[in-house]
Amino acid sequence: MIEVSGVAKSFRVAPAGKHGLAGLGRKRAAGRVVHAVRDVSFSAPPGHITGLLGPNGAGKTTTLRMLAALITPDAGTLAVDGIDVVARPREVVARMGVLSDSRGLYPRLTARENIVYYGALQGMEREVADARAQDLARMFEMTALLDRRTDGFSQGERMKTALIRALVHDPANIILDEPTNGLDVLATRALRENLRWLRTPAGGSKCIVFSTHIMQEVERLCDSVVVVAEGRAVASGTVPELLERTGETDFEEAFVKLAYGSERAPARTAQATT
Amino acid sequence: MKRHLVAVSIVLRKELIDALRDRRTLLTVLVSSVLMGPLVLMAISALVASLEARAELREVYVAGLANAPTLKNFLERQTYTVKEAPAAYEIELRKSRFSDPVVVVPPDFESQLSRGESPIVEIVSDSANQRSEASTGRIERLLGGFSRERAVLNVALRGVAVQLLEPIEVESRDLASPQTRATRITGILPYFVLMAVLYGALNAALDTTAGERERGSLEPLLMNPAERWAIVVGKWGAVASVSMLIAVLSSFSFLPGQWVLQSDTLAAMFQYGLREALLFLVVLLPFAAALSAVLMAVAIRCKTFKEAQASATIVLLAVSLVPLISFFNLGSEAPWHLWVPALAQSTLMTHVLKGESLGAAEVVVPLFVCALLAAAGVAFVARMLRHAALK
Repeated sequence: MIEVSGVAKSFRVAPAGKHGLAGLGRKRAAGRVVHAVRDVSFSAPPGHITGLLGPNGAGKTTTLRMLAALITPDAGTLAVDGIDVVARPREVVARMGVLSDSRGLYPRLTARENIVYYGALQGMEREVADARAQDLARMFEMTALLDRRTDGFSQGERMKTALIRALVHDPANIILDEPTNGLDVLATRALRENLRWLRTPAGGSKCIVFSTHIMQEVERLCDSVVVVAEGRAVASGTVPELLERTGETDFEEAFVKLAYGSERAPARTAQATT
Repeated sequence: MKRHLVAVSIVLRKELIDALRDRRTLLTVLVSSVLMGPLVLMAISALVASLEARAELREVYVAGLANAPTLKNFLERQTYTVKEAPAAYEIELRKSRFSDPVVVVPPDFESQLSRGESPIVEIVSDSANQRSEASTGRIERLLGGFSRERAVLNVALRGVAVQLLEPIEVESRDLASPQTRATRITGILPYFVLMAVLYGALNAALDTTAGERERGSLEPLLMNPAERWAIVVGKWGAVASVSMLIAVLSSFSFLPGQWVLQSDTLAAMFQYGLREALLFLVVLLPFAAALSAVLMAVAIRCKTFKEAQASATIVLLAVSLVPLISFFNLGSEAPWHLWVPALAQSTLMTHVLKGESLGAAEVVVPLFVCALLAAAGVAFVARMLRHAALK
């Protein structure tokens, strides 16, 4: 169960061209303030896939990073299974599997070692983590790759490894930031299948939140959608509900209406993700 | 607390495996740092051996030998072999093909000598030709001896006491022990050891910080429940271990290096045994730990490995230049030297090579400085970690 209510986060961005000497001069001139997230609220129940849909720079990644306790929010509250993220970040992180925007692996370690490392950091016994890696690898059809170094992995193989790594401690809550970035059709399909299975009681009735800017993914996968634009959650509901509310038959049209307003051109959205 | 220590050991173990799998880098560092000592030792010993061989030959090259039978007679009485210099000795000397200084005797040497007109005898050498330069002092002393003998003979013939010619007698007494004398030659060894430790730490330090940022693996790493300081301490432990491993290897590499010494004198002077190797480690291990933390602190600010390499140049430069302070001071040591990292270590290693034992203050002060640096570095990296993961 993930509950986010009224979170906001702004960053001070240094004026362009003032990044000299790897940031040695810490006292920068007062820069521009970017409101990455202004007001985002949503609630994601277990056994349910919740999609955060929004254009690039809408504040999705920042919201998810606040949820993962990497960024402290300026306002609002975030709770995972009733535990406050700001107050007890370690406990929250232990209940979440996060596939973040950056999903780097250690190229000199095998896929198995990458996964078991995270399992150990999550407090698992090595043998248990190893067995779990084996199970997940079977599920994601990458058993053959498990003992190869990740150096030569393809995008899809990397993503699978990173996802297994995020799921190794069997978290009740799963957060995926743009998981299909760089994946081909088959890999995307496989991922979708896996997420559907994780939602079922057999898969553990996981609470899954995933962010994307791709309509089709939301249509095909999500039980409910939260539309985020310019740092605000502007609408939420199931896909049919949102279609009904906007009076559209095409979800893309509905999204444009919700995200940019009915008559506004989708041009002024150039705000940094982080 | 136990939970944190477990996290430290998990990170440490993973980073060590990671660093040790980077075979090519590790091999380069090992070969260059561990073989460097013995190689330098061999080069020095070859030089000293060739100087010794020359001294043993006792040869003097004279241009215009036929003009100076008196001088020839004198030199032969000093058991030197006198040889005619090659015709084009100037060119040969300049091109370093000929390695002895040449004594040039004027044609009317004998007649001037007998008339008491002080004939001019030149010693020709090339100061850029180091081997000829090394023998010049020997030839000067020989010719001085000749002069003195002539003077004594002349004065004695006139019935004057010989003591008048030498109102004072000069004797020199050298306080240096054989080992101290050797440090004139082996004084550069600490420098090579410091460099080895530095390069041992460099790659691992950059890889665990800037490398982790560049790969995009730092952000997911921080989404684990382990405390940040525990992660950083684990990383630092791994980097320091690699650096210490190189320190151990390079310190012990001088032990077999000693066997290859060609020069008996140098072998006798350069006494580097197990005791010296262990004292080297007492000096080097804290330094390796501190250096690892400093390099990590520099690198955590950088987004890419390449950028970190550029920033680390400052550390490299400092570690390689700071020990030179003692060279510029011509060996005089000030108490503050012990408070300067790298300088303290190179000073102490020189002490060890001189055969001196290390005092308590000499061990404690640098240890304290290193501990401080390591703690500051680790704390800084831990503080920067979250910021670094996001940018």
